[in-house]
Amino acid sequence: MFNDFLKKVMGSNKSDSREVAKKRLKFALIYDKLEVSDDILNALHRDIVEVISRYFEIDHDAFKLDIRRSDDFSALIVNTPILSAKHKDPRHSDL
Amino acid sequence: MIPLTPHLLPLTPYTRCILDGRIIVITSGKGGVGKTTATASIGAALAMEGKRVVVIDMDIGLRNLDVVMGLENRIIYNVVDAVKGKCKIKQAAIKDRRIENLYLIPASQSDNKNVLSPEEMVGFREIISKEFDYVLMDCPAGIERGFENSVAAADEAIVICAPEVSSVRDADRVIGLLYARSITPKLVVNRIVPEMVERGDMLNHSDVVDVLSIELIGLVPMDDQVVVCTNTGMPLVLQKKSLAGEAFRRIALRINGMADLPIEVPQSQSRFWKKLGTRLGLGK
Ligand SMILES: Nc1ncnc2c1ncn2[C@@H]1O[C@H](COP(=O)(O)OP(=O)(O)O)[C@@H](O)[C@H]1O
Ligand SMILES: [Mg+2]
Repeated sequence: MFNDFLKKVMGSNKSDSREVAKKRLKFALIYDKLEVSDDILNALHRDIVEVISRYFEIDHDAFKLDIRRSDDFSALIVNTPILSAKHKDPRHSDL
Repeated sequence: MIPLTPHLLPLTPYTRCILDGRIIVITSGKGGVGKTTATASIGAALAMEGKRVVVIDMDIGLRNLDVVMGLENRIIYNVVDAVKGKCKIKQAAIKDRRIENLYLIPASQSDNKNVLSPEEMVGFREIISKEFDYVLMDCPAGIERGFENSVAAADEAIVICAPEVSSVRDADRVIGLLYARSITPKLVVNRIVPEMVERGDMLNHSDVVDVLSIELIGLVPMDDQVVVCTNTGMPLVLQKKSLAGEAFRRIALRINGMADLPIEVPQSQSRFWKKLGTRLGLGK
């Protein structure tokens, strides 16, 4: 997508590095803002483990939290092996 | 003698008196985009409007504002001394002899950035704003302690940005940090080369404003006079023929209440003559 764009701009004979600059800048800023700090990721990790643990027995060490990016979108990927379900109704738990 | 006790006051912005001076930080994230040049020039231009102005070099360990202003031979005390109360503000503030009402508080050259803390700067702000109409803080590059200290003391901010990808990106980051501190910054685009903009090889000012979406208060062209003035330590705004000097003067007027003063877009010589020709009815 981005490469196509570059080709289009480079292909034209008029020098127009300004357009390239503007486009790259917009992409860079979007990416910068998607970046999540380690502190936030760790806190999120903790919270998710806590919530899932109310419902399932999970393997804490195998729990994985990841942010995956592609050209068009970012995805939050949570992967955890479930050891067993907890049958207690969580709404009446003493949490 | 009345003792100074501002440290005992609750330090919220609302306790500040209407008569207190405005404290403006000049920042950019990236180095070399023109913060020091802008601080010296806007400060001088505000003083020429009859305001009492102090410019403060917050780049501890790497002072430069003093040489840009040609006041490097007169330093006795510095901003660290002033903030720590080792001297009075009157002693630290060097009076410019060419422009009335203009003062410089230089950075200290021997300390490191961590010698001051944001808390101390908040205390200092209460004292300094009583003595001047405008306090301009020349912020160091980066977003570490030096930035924190400069911003802690300020109520307003001017972000200087060059029309380049790296500079705009850093400006965006700094703008985010300023908003997080409840400061709504204004934008100056510096180092514009009109010839490059006109042939499509440089971001134009609306590209920059578009990306950063903050209020623009000035456009400053690349101008050889900036280097010439830095060579001699002469104030840029006293150079009648300097385009950059003129741009900074207009920025100062805008800050000082003339909010409606139009922002002039720097133009190349050829474009300028062509336009003039058209206006005089010569050719198309
Ligand atoms: N409008 C301009 N035209 C020409 N040179 C400039 C302009 N603005 C700044 N400069 C030059 O760019 C360099 C960096 O400027 P400076 O004000 O020291 O930036 P900063 O304080 O942001 O690091 C200096 O050499 C200065 O003379
Ligand atoms: Mg500087």
